[in-house]
Amino acid sequence: MKPRVAFFDFASCEGCQLQVINLEEKILDLIDVVEVVSFREAMKESSDDYDIAFVEGSIMRPMDEERLKRIRKNARILVALGACACIGGVNRLRNEWSVDEVKKEVYDEADIEGNRLFDVFPTKAVDEVVDVDFRIPGCPINREEFAKVVAHLAIGKEPRLPSYPVCVECKKNENICVFELGKFCLGPVTRAGCNAICPTHGDGCEGCRGYLDDPRMEAAKDVLRKYGVSFDEMMKRFNMFNYRKGAI
Amino acid sequence: MRAILAHSGVHAQSRKFDISMSGLIVGDHDGTRTLHSSGTWSHAVVRVLSGMKERMGTVQHDEQGGIRIQAMSKREWLNFVDRLIKENEGEVIGVRARGSRFQYAPLESAEELRLDYDVTILPPKKYLLPTHEDLMTFDISKPFEVLANIDEGKRILLGVHPYDVLAIQQMDEIYLGTHRDEHYDARRKNTIIIASDILNVSERSFAGSLGTHVVETGFDLLVTDLGDTVAVTIGSEEGKRLLDTHSETREATLEEKKHVKRLRKELPSRYARKLKVDKYMWQKLLEENYDHPIWEENSKKCLQCGSCTLVCPTCFCYDVDDVMSLNLKEGRRVRTWDGCLLRDFTRVAGGEIFRENIKDRYRHRYYRKGLYLPMRNGFVACVGCGRCATQCLPDIADPCEIMNTLASFSMHEKVNFPIPDVKVAGVEEGLLIPEPATILRKERQTDMETLYEIRPDSGRRLEYRPGQFVEVSIFGVGEAPISIASSPGRDTFELLVRRIGHVTTKLDTMKVGEKIGIRGPFGNGFDVSGIAGRDILFISGGCGLAPTRSLIEYVLENRGDFGKVTILYGCKEPGAVLFGNDLQEWSRKNDVLVKKTVDQCGEGECWDGEVGLITTLIPPLDFDPERTISIVVGPPVMYKFVISELKKKEVPDENIVVSLERRMKCGVGKCGHCQMNGIYVCLEGPVFRYTDVKDMPEAF
Repeated sequence: MKPRVAFFDFASCEGCQLQVINLEEKILDLIDVVEVVSFREAMKESSDDYDIAFVEGSIMRPMDEERLKRIRKNARILVALGACACIGGVNRLRNEWSVDEVKKEVYDEADIEGNRLFDVFPTKAVDEVVDVDFRIPGCPINREEFAKVVAHLAIGKEPRLPSYPVCVECKKNENICVFELGKFCLGPVTRAGCNAICPTHGDGCEGCRGYLDDPRMEAAKDVLRKYGVSFDEMMKRFNMFNYRKGAI
Repeated sequence: MRAILAHSGVHAQSRKFDISMSGLIVGDHDGTRTLHSSGTWSHAVVRVLSGMKERMGTVQHDEQGGIRIQAMSKREWLNFVDRLIKENEGEVIGVRARGSRFQYAPLESAEELRLDYDVTILPPKKYLLPTHEDLMTFDISKPFEVLANIDEGKRILLGVHPYDVLAIQQMDEIYLGTHRDEHYDARRKNTIIIASDILNVSERSFAGSLGTHVVETGFDLLVTDLGDTVAVTIGSEEGKRLLDTHSETREATLEEKKHVKRLRKELPSRYARKLKVDKYMWQKLLEENYDHPIWEENSKKCLQCGSCTLVCPTCFCYDVDDVMSLNLKEGRRVRTWDGCLLRDFTRVAGGEIFRENIKDRYRHRYYRKGLYLPMRNGFVACVGCGRCATQCLPDIADPCEIMNTLASFSMHEKVNFPIPDVKVAGVEEGLLIPEPATILRKERQTDMETLYEIRPDSGRRLEYRPGQFVEVSIFGVGEAPISIASSPGRDTFELLVRRIGHVTTKLDTMKVGEKIGIRGPFGNGFDVSGIAGRDILFISGGCGLAPTRSLIEYVLENRGDFGKVTILYGCKEPGAVLFGNDLQEWSRKNDVLVKKTVDQCGEGECWDGEVGLITTLIPPLDFDPERTISIVVGPPVMYKFVISELKKKEVPDENIVVSLERRMKCGVGKCGHCQMNGIYVCLEGPVFRYTDVKDMPEAF
């Protein structure tokens, strides 16, 4: 029997689900090997009976937490989809400020008091609320990687993310190191799997796939200093997708 | 692309390629010095580097005995290149600008060729061993359908600098020497090398100090851009044919010849970076500085990004993985470049990482280049191109600087890294393409382990020694090394498999009658004739009983050839005992002593052995340490403690034999993952005499 698959979104731009739709002709293969039962961006039907849940977005509110826990309960396998779900991503940046400060900044005088939709807590990644079986990181996800993970799950091979940095793929693409071009790059500490797409197009890596398990942060900072990156700049860049209080 | 259908064990058509083993030269500028001149090359088999010798050794000489050099105008040279591009001699790959740097890429016109380049980002190696390469494709909806992908496209590499010519010769030695790699071979045979003398020196190169700034063989043509004219040295018949067919040349004038000579002679002085120590001293320096503070110091700055290995023209390690298309039918087995600086390089399915410390990985690269590979092949695996130094952001990857530092401050603490001289006849053809085999029987041993009986579909009897292993393929999932658990001499063989990684987890779900792929046998196995006549003490922990069982069965089948036989077996708990029936059967024999133990035994669990670590079985044992050969096989943590107990019993080192686990990905000494200092565990192991590895820092 084909595994039943459902897609869910929380705080996100839904760009990762769009990447799935962007599989184009491959999507026919996808629906050949799995049965998609819920996918709000692509179909109107939905069902609570599924084996694999793909969850996009970060978790912001008590109501999100409840919903996510229900999904976890229903799903045999839960896959976090994209930077927001895997590491909190850009949404996490707001954790620099208190919830009240953020609300004031965004909604100012608007009347949101008592409205559940605005009842938020500091941003969480999916695995801070429920167990996550597999991750497909990136902003947005790499659809080749998505296809690979689905194929792996379907034939019973545990999908494993690369444990090496973006530099490996960047070198294989024979790029000129973007440091040489005077740009900032988080490639040396960021998990590969994107085929070094940003450096290949001449931009520095912004770390959207999250850091490696054992990132060489001190060595990377030494390099950034050597290339004249200021502390402020470093702070901004490190925080963009991987916010941590006092990141550096 | 040529596809070879691999079925019924018939695969990979045989193509002989002679590797000459005579006298050597490592492309030194004087062209004569052998590595023996240092007097320190211990294990070196010194040989002509290139498997392409027949084609490449034919530099043409004039009547006076000098090298014959042709010449043509610059315009004629450009016409020649354009004709090569247009007249279908193959894909013409030349050096082109890429932003402020250079790269090898297909040429569309001669104008794009930049002979004035300093160095390319990646070496021309990428056309012989591509960054990603489909070794084979398969269709898993069929019982067993595998197609080998052999790239036989013709290519001309244009503008190859001497150091890269030498690096290609090193690659030839690795890939066309023992265990010839078919995929590489096909590419190499169809590649014409038009080398170019260096016009501009790369900032970080130190080729001038290594003598790799010039080259005398290993090319089909060698061009020297003299400004208005271009001089051409003919290096092969094929080169001559190209030149005759597509250009009009004349003999170079005396002035031009002098110009070429002068250019080459003056080149070393133009290098800013200079080695202060002769390359023949690298081995000695490294032997004496394993614990030099520079390894720790520099590794702190290391990003572990692997760039130094990825841009290296002599690095040849690779990884292999299966990629399935989303339709779950077709898949590819893909080979990609790998590097020893990356953490998971030595990771095995069980999770152990054998070179976990960053310092060890950082140091390993230098030792491999300057010591281990020279010991094995007879040449320093560095050609001084400087790519690693150019690409390393913290600037700690420069062999020139490291060797100069070691030379100026040597620890003089000599460590030996011997490579055991082991020759086992093994598979020499069709190395990477698995043959089909069928699961005949599955016997669950524990929750985690199952015994499989396998028969090759070709009907061939697997010829192996106890202790050898096979690579098991499940297409779409991957490949894993599994030691053979049954004794040789039968039409089938048995594998004991723990469900722990991709392949073994998938295998667990497969049924009797289904097909797997196998390669091998690989490794050396136990020296069964060498231990004949001796008392044998088997000490096995956990899964270590699998390869040991092969030898135990062999010994029991030839009982008269051996003295006392004792079997010690330990595992975690009663539920984890492997080969329970065999242990029982062995212990019923009156000429075999079996002792078994578990680390722990829950209350009420049924257990008729001891409780305690395997080491506790050794002290009460009564055996003659001089007569007894101890065969120790178990998890990595076990060796130190077991061997220490044996030493208390005054067992001499030479009476201890171990079998070690490493990541044996290719099985044929190429991929680099199983390396333990200078040893390839898949070739010289996994079985070792303890004396050969006891001082090896990375062994235990």
